[in-house]
Amino acid sequence: MNAINPIDAVESVALGAPIDVTIENVEKAFGDTPALHGVSLDVKAGELVALLGPSGSGKTTLLRILAGLDAPTAGRVLFGGDDALGLRVQDRNVGFVFQHYALFRHMTVYDNIAFGLTVRPRAERPPKAEIRKRVLHLLDLVQLSGLDKRYPSQLSGGQRQRVALARALAIEPRVLLLDEPFGALDAQVRKDLRRWLRELHDQTGHTTFFVTHDQEEALELADRVVVMSKGQIEQVGTPDEIYDAPASPFVFGFIGESSFLPVTVVDGAVQLDGTPLDLAALGAPSGAATLGFRPHDISIVEGDAPAIVGQIIAERRHGGARRLELEVGSARHRVEIDMAVDHTRQEGGLVAFRPHRWRLFPR
Amino acid sequence: MSDEAFTSARLPGASAIHFRPVTVERRRIRVGLILVSLAFLGLFLVLPVVAVFVEALRGGLPAFTEAIFEPDAAAAIRLTLLVAAISVPCNLVFGVAAAWAIAKFDFKGKSLLNTLIDLPFSVSPVIAGLIYILMFGSQSLLGPWLKSEGIQVIFAVPGIVLATIFVTFPFVARELIPLMEEQGRGDEEAALSLGASGFQVFFRVTLPNVKWALLYGVLLCNARAMGEFGAVSVVSGHIRGLTNTMPLHVEILYNEYNFAAAFAVASLLALLALFTLVVKSVLEWRYAEEIAATRRH
Repeated sequence: MNAINPIDAVESVALGAPIDVTIENVEKAFGDTPALHGVSLDVKAGELVALLGPSGSGKTTLLRILAGLDAPTAGRVLFGGDDALGLRVQDRNVGFVFQHYALFRHMTVYDNIAFGLTVRPRAERPPKAEIRKRVLHLLDLVQLSGLDKRYPSQLSGGQRQRVALARALAIEPRVLLLDEPFGALDAQVRKDLRRWLRELHDQTGHTTFFVTHDQEEALELADRVVVMSKGQIEQVGTPDEIYDAPASPFVFGFIGESSFLPVTVVDGAVQLDGTPLDLAALGAPSGAATLGFRPHDISIVEGDAPAIVGQIIAERRHGGARRLELEVGSARHRVEIDMAVDHTRQEGGLVAFRPHRWRLFPR
Repeated sequence: MSDEAFTSARLPGASAIHFRPVTVERRRIRVGLILVSLAFLGLFLVLPVVAVFVEALRGGLPAFTEAIFEPDAAAAIRLTLLVAAISVPCNLVFGVAAAWAIAKFDFKGKSLLNTLIDLPFSVSPVIAGLIYILMFGSQSLLGPWLKSEGIQVIFAVPGIVLATIFVTFPFVARELIPLMEEQGRGDEEAALSLGASGFQVFFRVTLPNVKWALLYGVLLCNARAMGEFGAVSVVSGHIRGLTNTMPLHVEILYNEYNFAAAFAVASLLALLALFTLVVKSVLEWRYAEEIAATRRH
């Protein structure tokens, strides 16, 4: 495979101005199974938005509704302020990149990319020379120059992915939609393509949605991340907001490694089994709450300072640290923490620690 | 023990050690299996076909050509070609439509349709012929009306065409359905999102994706349409020079002890079968890569 180089400042793909996309109270049910429930979202022109969630969260359904491949049971979708749901998929002018690319296997790379232009009615179809110029330019943009006569079966996964993208860009879409764009690629190609797609977006400026279940991918690539679960939006925010201020235990758990403990908030202080932990309640109301923290955001506590004490159940190597699995408190809640590899263990298999970053979710 | 001692200890016997993949059987068994299959093929397929040609040419080439160009034989050949020329396109359209519907859409009664397509495979051709006699014969409900309108279905070309269509209609659909189901709807959705009309999607994406399976299905359908005996025999009425197809003509000649002529016409049918096989093999060999590409990505 060719190495993926930074994009040259070649002339940008001819485009209309990017448009805003508004999703209002979209509902979708397949038979009796609800797939989307009251989804609303405002996306500004030129934004790169990640739809992030586990499988079955409705993210792909939402993407297909934007494309016109599925119709919502209720709600509105606006492209640049105009109703989009009244438009057929052919007239919606969206570039859709499918998870498994869906390249036309009996056509060359050139014919694949030119397809969207050659199927236009004669009056709107650009002349052959113009199509050729545009296809070759797109091939250059996705760094596949010289492969125009190949068939899809003769390409690697990463190359097919880029042909699919070029084919979608050829119709000068108003919105670009990518379904798990890197799902079928191996780890290294994935990383290269991710960076490359970000640069491509910065250059072409499409309003772009991409679906992913990989939180790392979403956080690295997107301007804004939409976390979805069970057909609903859990949180919308910049990668920093999502990571640092998750709105729910679900988002906290989905966005990175996490441990949870049931605690009680009393007068602005956090207690575990009635023992104060010396953690500020960060404005959480008094009463039962869930304490969430990440395994690497903890400090080991020596001496008698207030701490969470756990019994070591298992330990294993985890990157540069040692990951401990602990049972905490009388109810033996399982949590995970990271400890320095060279740290000597305390006697009796007990560890005392305190999170130095944490979130409280009222129950 | 050093490495050297280890290898030298093994080397003398190395030629005796025969490695074979675990799924490959012993030589004796392999040869045995191949011989059994060849013997079967030879006895039941090659020998009869050879016999057909030998018998056909027994009287020499002039007798052979005379038997074929004799007016009744020529009429049978023309009728067979006509029946195939009508029934194959009908089943091409039906097969593509059924496969398209079953593979790409969900609708009520889909599995029933899927099962019904196989009906001609499971029903005896004689019954297929009788169905049309019951429907269109003079004793049927439609019979008097057809007679008053002067439409002759049974014991005429329309009946033969109907019976042939019935017997051959699964061939195209059965070739297409598994392939189209495997290919899914992704390509069509992609084409639609790129602005193609339904018409363009069908002719530029769906059809090219299945063209080899379609061609193969048409070849099989054609071979069966020309060779069908049972159903056609029931509805034909065996009127020489009028409603006799090639297989029926062969039977009549044979029953008249006109063996040379019977085998001459039969050899044409055998040639058709061989031609179908050769075309299929040539296509598979010539377009192997493209055929493979339409199956996997």
